[in-house]
Amino acid sequence: MIEVLSSAALATVQDLGRTGSLRWGVGTSGAMDNLALAAGNLLLGNALGAAAIEVPVFPFKVRFGEDCAFALTGADCAARLDDQPLLPWWVHQARAGQMLTLGLPQGGAQRGSRAMLCLAGGVDVPEVLGSRSTQLRGAFGGHEGRALRRGDVLRAAGAGIGCKSGFGLVPPALMLPLQQDGVAAVRVLPAAEYLAFEPVSRAAFWAGEWKITSQSDRYGYRLEGEALRPIAPMELRSHGIVPGVIQVPHSGQPIVQMRDAQPSGGYPKFGTVIEADMWRLGQAPIGSRVRFIETTWDEALAALDEVRAWLDKVARMVELHRGAPAAGR
Amino acid sequence: MQDIALQTSRFAAWLGDTDIGLFELRTPQGTLRLGRQGDDIVELPAEVAEAETASVSVHAPSVGMFLHNHPLAAAPLVRIGERVDAGQTIGLLKIGPLLLPVTASQAGIVDGFHAADGLAVGYGAPLVDLPPL
Repeated sequence: MIEVLSSAALATVQDLGRTGSLRWGVGTSGAMDNLALAAGNLLLGNALGAAAIEVPVFPFKVRFGEDCAFALTGADCAARLDDQPLLPWWVHQARAGQMLTLGLPQGGAQRGSRAMLCLAGGVDVPEVLGSRSTQLRGAFGGHEGRALRRGDVLRAAGAGIGCKSGFGLVPPALMLPLQQDGVAAVRVLPAAEYLAFEPVSRAAFWAGEWKITSQSDRYGYRLEGEALRPIAPMELRSHGIVPGVIQVPHSGQPIVQMRDAQPSGGYPKFGTVIEADMWRLGQAPIGSRVRFIETTWDEALAALDEVRAWLDKVARMVELHRGAPAAGR
Repeated sequence: MQDIALQTSRFAAWLGDTDIGLFELRTPQGTLRLGRQGDDIVELPAEVAEAETASVSVHAPSVGMFLHNHPLAAAPLVRIGERVDAGQTIGLLKIGPLLLPVTASQAGIVDGFHAADGLAVGYGAPLVDLPPL
C-alpha cells in the first residue's frame, strides 16, 4: 500500500479510459497522456491499461508501506526516493517506509505538465463501467470517485512481488517529436462547421500560435489567439462530442475538449485533434503555445499506427530485457 | 541487431558456464562474436583482436549507444573527477527505445571516458575509467 502525503490535490487514478460509455452519457476520462501510462505499464510488466496515478500539481509525495516496484513516466519532475534522485522514464524499486517526492517539471519550454506514477500490478481500485479511471463529474471510479487527498491509502496489485527494475525508455516526445516552426504542434481534422467560418479565420487557425490559458484542465483547454469568426451566427442543438473536439463559443476563442469532457455540447465544431496526438496536448503546460497542423483521415490513421508501432517495439524490447539474466560481470 | 544486443548478456552468461573459447552468431542483421578475456566474456571485433582492458574500467553490459547523460537532461550523469558509489549509474546504453544503466562496479573516482557520448559500443567494451578509492 502507498499513502498520499500531499494535500495539493488534483492527482487522480486513471487508466486508458471508460471507452464505450458515451452512449450512456458517461464521459471517457482516462490518462491525459495515455502513451506515458501505457509505457509505464510496459516497463513494469503490467497490462497496458493498468491504472496509475496522474499527477498534475507539484510537489507530490507518497510513502510506500511495503516494497513495491514503480515506474515514472510523463513529465520529468526531478523525482527523489528519500534523498536519492531518480531518473525519469525509468522503473525503480521502493522499499517499505521510503518516501517518493515528485518536484516541479523540468525541461524548460519542452517540459511536460503531468507525471504518471505507475505501480507494479496497477492501482487496485474497483472497476466501474469497465474502467478504473476517476470520473470526476459523476463522482465514481478511481479512488472513491474523487481526486486524491492527504491520508488516502492505495494498494498496488503487484506490491511485494519481485519485478525487474533499473532500466528505462527514451521518452516518446523525443522518439515521435512534432513541431511547427519550433512550437509544439498537434494535428487536427477539420470538423462539421469548419467551412461555416470566415476564410480569414480558417487561415489564422492554422497559421497562428495558440496560448493554453489558465482556464485549462482535464475537462478542456481554453485557448487564446486570433478570434475565429463564423460567416453567419450559428445556433446548434446539443449533440454528441468526444475528447479532441475543438469548439468555438461566441467569443471566438476555441476550447479543446479533453479527457473529462462532457459527452454533449452545442457550440460549433471547428476541428478535432486526432487521437494519436492527444497525449501531446495532455502534456502541454498552461501558458505554453501550441500550433495546429491540418491533416486528413488517412494521415490520422497512419499517425495512430506510428504510435502503436512505437508501443509494440517498446513492449518487445522490454520483454526481452525483463527475460534476460541480471547483468553483472 | 537490437534483438541480438539485448540477448548478448544471456549468451555471455551461457558461455561463462562452458569451456567454449569462441562463440560466433551469424544472423541476417550481422555477426556477434564473444570470447574470453581472463574470467570475463567480451565481445570481439570482426577480426580476432585482443582488446586491452584495465581492471579499473567499467565495461558495457550490452551492445548499444553509450550516452553520457539522460536524453532529457543537459548535464552528464557523472563528470571526470567525480567520486561515485558502487552501483551508481554513471552512463546509459541506448538500444532502440530502451535505456540500460551503466553502473559503477566499485566506489571510485571517474578518471576518464573511453567512449564518446553517442558512440555505438560492443558488449564488454571499456567505457569509463574508474580507479578504486
